[in-house]
Amino acid sequence: MRFNVISYLFKEGIKNVFKNKKSTISSLMIMCATMLIFGLFFVIGENINAFVKEIADAQGIRVFLINSATDSEIEEVGKELLEIEGVRDVRYISKEEGLESMRETLGDEIIAGYTENNILPASYEVKLTDLELNEEVQKDILQIPNVEDIESSNPVIEQIIRLAKGVKIITAVILILLIVISIAIIANTIKLTVHARRKEISIMKYVGATNSFIRWPFLVEGVIIGVIAGLISVGIVGALYTYFYGKLSGTIFMDIANLKLIEFKDMFELILIVYLGLGAGIGAIGSAISMRKYLDV
Amino acid sequence: MIEFRKVCKKYGTGTMALKNVSFNIQKGEFAFLVGSSGSGKSTLIKLILKEEEPTSGNIIINGKDTTFLKQGKVPYLRRSMGVVFQDFRLLPDKTVYENVAFAMYIVKATPKHIRRQVPMVLSLVGLSGKAKMYPSELSGGEQQRVALARALVNNPSMIIADEPTGNLDPDTAWDIMSLLNEINMRGTTVVVATHAKEIVDQMKKRVIHIDKGVIVKDDKKGGYNCEI
Ligand SMILES: Nc1ncnc2c1ncn2[C@@H]1O[C@H](COP(=O)(O)OP(=O)(O)OP(=O)(O)O)[C@@H](O)[C@H]1O
Ligand SMILES: [Mg+2]
Repeated sequence: MRFNVISYLFKEGIKNVFKNKKSTISSLMIMCATMLIFGLFFVIGENINAFVKEIADAQGIRVFLINSATDSEIEEVGKELLEIEGVRDVRYISKEEGLESMRETLGDEIIAGYTENNILPASYEVKLTDLELNEEVQKDILQIPNVEDIESSNPVIEQIIRLAKGVKIITAVILILLIVISIAIIANTIKLTVHARRKEISIMKYVGATNSFIRWPFLVEGVIIGVIAGLISVGIVGALYTYFYGKLSGTIFMDIANLKLIEFKDMFELILIVYLGLGAGIGAIGSAISMRKYLDV
Repeated sequence: MIEFRKVCKKYGTGTMALKNVSFNIQKGEFAFLVGSSGSGKSTLIKLILKEEEPTSGNIIINGKDTTFLKQGKVPYLRRSMGVVFQDFRLLPDKTVYENVAFAMYIVKATPKHIRRQVPMVLSLVGLSGKAKMYPSELSGGEQQRVALARALVNNPSMIIADEPTGNLDPDTAWDIMSLLNEINMRGTTVVVATHAKEIVDQMKKRVIHIDKGVIVKDDKKGGYNCEI
């Protein structure tokens, strides 16, 4: 399409936004409200994810091998471990290294008797890509021959993982609600502009405008409303988050719980992309829905 | 150029608006469509514009049967016809110039082409001096001239008018009809549905009479009052 045609269609779309100020504003407000609720769970989810990831980095699964395992068998176990889905990294800990690290934690005296006769088994330390895969990976590891036993994360971690899962589900449900409500709202707003401009549309049809040409300004209108709602929401989420971040971080509670919040600037890009994408997508779908019925005439 | 073959149109309400209508309007012809109110003139025009579909029969436009034309192709069919209505249908928030240029934007004309073409048709309809005015600042006759300029601006091969003088006083009506005649002289096919009896009588053009959905008379150089 030619530039003047594109700029014409955009101008018309922008005009549409101002044609029904009341309905534009009310749909903006409703979209912002739903986006904010989504944003609330989104940032909580992001923080829990970050926390879980940190634990996942620190915590691994310790895989102990049977004492009689030969070097080649040990090597074989290492290879098989790496093949399991969800395993990010595998590190071999020989009997000697195991003893050494035990010495560090327990002290020389207790270890002393064992130095001559090291009964500690050789082991692997397995790091996961995603803590949620913990259970499945453990099951897979136990299938591998020459594995004696595994030692894994504590119940608290299991609970945090469950919490993270719950938040994810809630976020997804809210996201779906947000999308459905917003599409309906935008579709309704655009229906009003379509109605206000029906005379123009009928003239366009008589002059031979294609449906896609007629549709464009309304598509632009929907996307503009969606994107503006996205931008406003990013601003509000950013301001609120930064406020609570300042209030919470450094408090005794957070120190005791050993919690560290993500800084907003580290989430900004992601949130901006998610909101703009959502806004534009919802706007486009909303306008497509409201136009489809109209143009079929 | 415009041919109807045994066209019937029955509306959803059950009204038989057209019954077995057949005629052929040649390229470059000027034809009036007359008949009392409710006889089916507007229905016939809507069928030409493919705003309504015939219940049976065929409609051939520019040598192409439009009966089975796909919805997506309708806009391109309409670009070959300029349409004028009784109520002008101008956009109130656009100037005379913009109203005409609008029709060119829609068919994606270049800015250069628009700048050249719009003043040309405005001078053809005698509105060169009023390009910057808004429809509300014009008389009815002038508004209809703008509508005519808009219908002409994309060089259609035919002009279809449904009661173009219905809202105008007799003198102004004559101006518009003369303008249509002038356009016809330049080679454009013109079809006009009208109640303007005197004008039809005096212009000595082809007259297609419809009564209750049936063509009762088709006069090559007729008038309104010819005996049936
Ligand atoms: N959309 C429609 N639905 C149902 N019936 C219709 C519709 N449009 C027209 N009709 C009927 O079809 C018949 C022909 O109407 P039409 O508008 O074609 O008449 P006309 O000759 O243009 O009349 P007028 O001179 O008053 O404009 C009338 O009986 C009318 O009531
Ligand atoms: Mg009529």
